[in-house]
Amino acid sequence: MIRGVGVSPGIAYAPAVILEWTFPDVPDRSVAPGEVEREVRRLNEAVVAVVATLNRLRERVLERAGLEESRIFEAQIMMVQDADFLDGVIHLIRENNLSAETAYEFKALELRAAWGGTANVRLRERLADLLATQLRVLRHLMGQSDDELFGLRDHKHVIIVAHEIYPGLTVQFDRDQLLGLVSEEGTRTSHAAILAHSLGIPCVMGATGAVARIRGGTMVLLDGTTGSILLEPTVAELEAAQLMAARRHKLELQLEAATQQPAVTPDGHTITLMGNVDLPDEIETAVRHGAQGVGLLRTEFMVTGRAHLPSEDEQLEYFRRVTFAFGSAPIVIRTYDLGGDKFPAAFDAPSEANPFLGWRSIRVCLDQPEIFRPQLRAILRAAADRSIQIMLPLVTRVEEVVRAREILAEESDDLARAGIRAAKDVPVGVMVETPAAVVMADRLAKVSAFFSVGTNDLTQYTLAVDRGNAHLASRFNPHDPAILRMLSQVLETGRRYNVPVSVCGEMASEPLHAVLLLGLGFTTLSVAPPALPLLKWLVRTVPMETARRAAAEALEAPGPDAVTEILREALKPVLDLRLIDTQGPLPGRGSGASLLP
Amino acid sequence: MIEREATIVNPLGMHARPAAQLVKLASTFVSDLELVKDGDPINAKSIMGVMMLAAECGSTLTVRADGPDEEQAAAAIVALIAEGFGEA
Repeated sequence: MIRGVGVSPGIAYAPAVILEWTFPDVPDRSVAPGEVEREVRRLNEAVVAVVATLNRLRERVLERAGLEESRIFEAQIMMVQDADFLDGVIHLIRENNLSAETAYEFKALELRAAWGGTANVRLRERLADLLATQLRVLRHLMGQSDDELFGLRDHKHVIIVAHEIYPGLTVQFDRDQLLGLVSEEGTRTSHAAILAHSLGIPCVMGATGAVARIRGGTMVLLDGTTGSILLEPTVAELEAAQLMAARRHKLELQLEAATQQPAVTPDGHTITLMGNVDLPDEIETAVRHGAQGVGLLRTEFMVTGRAHLPSEDEQLEYFRRVTFAFGSAPIVIRTYDLGGDKFPAAFDAPSEANPFLGWRSIRVCLDQPEIFRPQLRAILRAAADRSIQIMLPLVTRVEEVVRAREILAEESDDLARAGIRAAKDVPVGVMVETPAAVVMADRLAKVSAFFSVGTNDLTQYTLAVDRGNAHLASRFNPHDPAILRMLSQVLETGRRYNVPVSVCGEMASEPLHAVLLLGLGFTTLSVAPPALPLLKWLVRTVPMETARRAAAEALEAPGPDAVTEILREALKPVLDLRLIDTQGPLPGRGSGASLLP
Repeated sequence: MIEREATIVNPLGMHARPAAQLVKLASTFVSDLELVKDGDPINAKSIMGVMMLAAECGSTLTVRADGPDEEQAAAAIVALIAEGFGEA
């Protein structure tokens, strides 16, 4: 089996055709000085011809996928016609008496090197578009036709396997001929992936080694949801794949319908669903999946693996980027949760025997103001015109919140004195993830604007189970009644002191557990963006009354297994449990939760 | 010659389609138009150049216009960027 990333869902089964997609061998050819202008003319003609081809492809995409998708070719057409680039080629032809193709190849390779060398992921992805256009011009200049590009039209069904797939390929075949796509390069956001998804062609990208390992004619079974590729599968494997596909399809239809609808239970309770954002590229997914703001914006990526701490301005730029993306929806920024290996390279952090109980999170921030203060300043500045809240991780003592708020006030005063535009104050809340915070919630409530429960660490600290230890995996249960009682206690305290309580831990993205949280009384959940569609569907499917009864019963259960049983029994009448089967690799589980690319 | 600043606000930044929109708009003006983002100016009428900027959401660009319609040109480009290319 070969593993890649599923970028367009569905199952495909067909013989593989390997696509060698490289620049044609361009001979180094000089021309007589008198022929130079003829080469310039040939270049211009080739550009005109390729523009015509791309226009035809655009029409096809417009017809088969839609206007938005067809615009991909607009950019390609402009690339082919780019005057700066063509002037460079013409200059080279005239200065060195080169043939059009020789000069074009030279400039194309030069541009590719500059473009491919950039660290910007999005830009590197567009290399495929650039290559596709340049390849067409070169082939035209060398007298090779575009339409005969691959000589594959005699195959009835194919799965194309290539090092890289460019967008036009997806529409150059008839839909019933091209069943699936496999490539070594490319990601979910490359144009070819977006087009494959729009056209409903299952596609797996990032399948390293695929071209070398798959021979032409090999029967390939690819799963565009999980990203798995099986070679010469058995009958049993085929049947299992088909069964899974049918189940998934059913759920996908329901999920798709839910994405556009409000998160309201069948009996009329409105729930707020937010996204957890770890890395910049998750902003887009969260927005697309309808996140009503960010319930947990992690900031560690700005520090880990880097030599220096990020500047105040750098952090400000990121916070602005996130707030702009979400309009007026609230953003909860968690201050640095550093510890263990999560330190900047140059930082002199002590090695610890027990890092989870060590010098980390808020403890580090309060001890090292040079880390904490710039972050608070950046948050205050970003909050000048957007709704932002601060969340302090790993709080165990009231003084930690008090001290953090003092530092925040000092920085606010300093910004005001310096005349820098910033919010005067930002609400500060506590990430409840230690038993101490749960037990002291009534005291913390007096100094906190909100509570947000981090279920992973709360489970780890309460059950004394290291979540990274594979031997203990079966003991790491956020649905253990011990945790449920803690959650219930925090909710109760929040209610009494009028402090909103939400959950931003992974527990909320586990379907059965999410039902439990709703039943306990949480009305705001924040999860990893790919889990949002399934969560929304659950909210819209399970009546609050059902969830409440299950939660009440679970609070009295003797242990986690009994809780699972209670949940299954409670949900049986309202949904098909096989759809959220915790054993099956269905959408909604882990990173495969997304039904959109 | 005039200079104006604009901040990218659409979540995806200046990817292929916004770049195409910007180049199209820029090409309707007579003035020379350049974009500057930390460093060398690029020709706003060249899609390759504009894409190479790799301008992400939140980053600030300087729009530089030089020619008979420089005022209108700079204002139009700044407006397009500020509106998030109709995406935000």
